[in-house]
Amino acid sequence: MKPVVLLIGADKGGVGKTTVTRTVLDYLASKNMPTRAFDAEHPRGTLKRFHPGSTVIDITDVADQMRMLDTLHSSDVKVSVIDIRAGLLSGTLQALTDVGFFDMVKGGEFNFGLLHVVGPSVASLDEISEVLPLAEDKHYFVVKNFINETSFFEWNPDVYKSYFKMLKNAVEVNVPKLNEMAYEQVELAGVPFQTFVDNRNPQGMPGNYSLVLRGYVRTWLNQIKAEYDRVGLVDRLST
Amino acid sequence: MQRITCAAIVASVHARTGKTLLSRVLADYVMLSGENPMIFDTDALEQTLSASFPTESLVVDIDQVRDQMRLFDNLAAASDDSRVVDLSHLAFRKFFNLMRDTDFIPEARSAGIEPVIFYITNHDRRSLEEGCLLLDRFADCTVVVVDNGYLRQPTSITRQTSDYRTLRAHDLRLGMPALDAVAATVIEEDPLLSLAEVLRQPMRPSVDDGDLVGQARAAIRSWVIRLFREVHRLNELMDARLAAEPIPPPWTPSPSRSNA
Repeated sequence: MKPVVLLIGADKGGVGKTTVTRTVLDYLASKNMPTRAFDAEHPRGTLKRFHPGSTVIDITDVADQMRMLDTLHSSDVKVSVIDIRAGLLSGTLQALTDVGFFDMVKGGEFNFGLLHVVGPSVASLDEISEVLPLAEDKHYFVVKNFINETSFFEWNPDVYKSYFKMLKNAVEVNVPKLNEMAYEQVELAGVPFQTFVDNRNPQGMPGNYSLVLRGYVRTWLNQIKAEYDRVGLVDRLST
Repeated sequence: MQRITCAAIVASVHARTGKTLLSRVLADYVMLSGENPMIFDTDALEQTLSASFPTESLVVDIDQVRDQMRLFDNLAAASDDSRVVDLSHLAFRKFFNLMRDTDFIPEARSAGIEPVIFYITNHDRRSLEEGCLLLDRFADCTVVVVDNGYLRQPTSITRQTSDYRTLRAHDLRLGMPALDAVAATVIEEDPLLSLAEVLRQPMRPSVDDGDLVGQARAAIRSWVIRLFREVHRLNELMDARLAAEPIPPPWTPSPSRSNA
């Protein structure tokens, strides 16, 4: 399998990038695909709280870019998942262009996927149009994250469709809503969603999480996994 | 419910089928056995069962997540005391969806709790259909089909349906004898009347024709004795089955478990 880089990001903050990253990591683990996780929320590292094995990097820093890109071939783990800090998606795509990474993707050396997490505001549509030129000819997934919203998009469907028409290869992914109390409890537990479902604490010992809340998370996570299956996330990145 | 720690879930898709009465009987039976059962009343509006067990029961609103946690987390917690759930027909669907989504059955078993669904049927086809769905959906759970003699029985046409035959052929059954109408009223109007206490009181050699309360008490006593015998018979049968099929070792969820 070729090394894969999967970027998850948005230029707008608070749309749930890290939540989506966590679901992707759980999903790939369920597919027996080991991953390297990079947390570009430098220096805070939100992802690292849930996935302590992840590496916090400053994606704008050349040394950190090298840490990530120069090890793609040498690493035994072929899938690298990067949770991009808010506001840095366009910049990161530009930086990857500048270092010739996308030329190598075109040359068949690496596989690349972009999960662009969008929020309910019109600003997200503009963001898509900004990212669009950089996302062409790539596995581009537009992720509508419903997790924090009871009702979603204020987008005009016609305007939305007109944006999507421009995206030949864009795939739409919907992340459903999770019960607030269940979400809060996972946040407090500070573990991956699947670990919460399995009733394990951060040390891997039996946890004491609510049976009901674990049920909500399990059902939700299964829905998301089915959604990733539907769009063929693994297949697209493996070819 | 003497030797196993049982979580009895009394259910029906319709109102007025005797769910609360059977829950009350089961709770009294368990208490008579010296246990201190956890009793859950899922009818947050009427709270009829709770009126019979004001200190032992918990009223839960199945639509509230906190109450779902109080119900299911307590039901699946390790304890030597049995549990009785009076499942309102309005909570029927939500309860069983949660039961499935939470993997309640294996988790309860891993804590030494055996869930038992008491499903009360009636003459209505939908009741029979839902009963069969329940048997399919919870094939790994003990389900007892309850015939309440007080209710209207299915017509001869309904008895020809496959759903009726399936439920009729079900091996675990409980017959609730028909209760005299006056006795039923006495029980309903006196929620604190302990059925176990009625049994303990010595039977009067004769009751005057005009003594309606005395007659009702005699009818209740006779009815409770018959029903307790039925519960005891069923309890022995379930004990024997559980002894033959020991509870599996503590459950470990599979990360790759697919959506049910």
